[in-house]
Amino acid sequence: MEFDLDWITQEERQELERNVFLGTLEQVKAWARSNSLWPLTFGLACCAIEMMGTGASHYDLDRFGVMFRTSPRQADVMIVSGTVTKKMGPLLRRLYDQMPEPKWVIAMGSCATAGGPYVKSYAVIKGVDQIVPVDVYIPGCPPSPAALIYGINKLQHKIRYEAKTGKQVT
Amino acid sequence: MKGMLKGMGVTLKALTAPKVTTSYPDTPYMMPERYRGIQHFIPELCIVCNQCARICPTECITLTGKPNPDPEKKGKVIDTFDLNFEICILCDLCTEVCPTEAIVMTGNFELAAYSRDELYKDREWLTDNNTRVREDNNNIGAPQKGGAK
Repeated sequence: MEFDLDWITQEERQELERNVFLGTLEQVKAWARSNSLWPLTFGLACCAIEMMGTGASHYDLDRFGVMFRTSPRQADVMIVSGTVTKKMGPLLRRLYDQMPEPKWVIAMGSCATAGGPYVKSYAVIKGVDQIVPVDVYIPGCPPSPAALIYGINKLQHKIRYEAKTGKQVT
Repeated sequence: MKGMLKGMGVTLKALTAPKVTTSYPDTPYMMPERYRGIQHFIPELCIVCNQCARICPTECITLTGKPNPDPEKKGKVIDTFDLNFEICILCDLCTEVCPTEAIVMTGNFELAAYSRDELYKDREWLTDNNTRVREDNNNIGAPQKGGAK
């Protein structure tokens, strides 16, 4: 099958290039997914206060389509904000398993990334990536709301990049 | 009726109120002067006294020195300086104890990474991280050279 494109004039061609976008279905899906990231509020410690502050009017996460859900069945991304103790670990894994695909995890703060100030504790999981796969790590103790917004934007970039190129980021 | 008008008055007043939301990813967010983002390291000033590594509550700083290449001078110069930013809790103690202010805070907060390896900051990275460096590194009024008066 062949298209004869010679009948398109120069003006029409310019008009078409301005108005018609071509992309794969994966890209459209990634565009939709990245602009409606509904996080599961997994607030465990002081990072949760910062996460709530990011959702409030000054930083306003709703601008990016980030609406907090309290049920894992409705969530796309889990923002693990706070210290994950060994007692909380199995519950975190269960909530992650209950989330529908596709799903992502953001490790917010030093505790969720590597244990933070509790790095020598016997009761704290040294990094949430030991139990769930983590996409974006946000360092800080706690990270400021602007740093959380940067991390969420980075996750959106990752979703779009992986759909566009088919390659894994790290 | 009166209450309704009162309520509508509040609504109308809020319509003209200035916006409180930042436009952060579109415009850079300027943190306050004392904000603690990530450290900036100046290798020329470091005297390898190990105080920052010793005071760090999470022991995230590791550093090694080597003898001064100039045989005339005594002391050591810095060889490697590694900051494990995964567990750094930004307590500011390393910048407080540093006698030469070789390690200072910056207001850079855009540090999110796709892998934990990226959060290991070495000497070169910390030296190049030289924007938004905090001006006043003695904001607690610690005694200057020569001790407390």
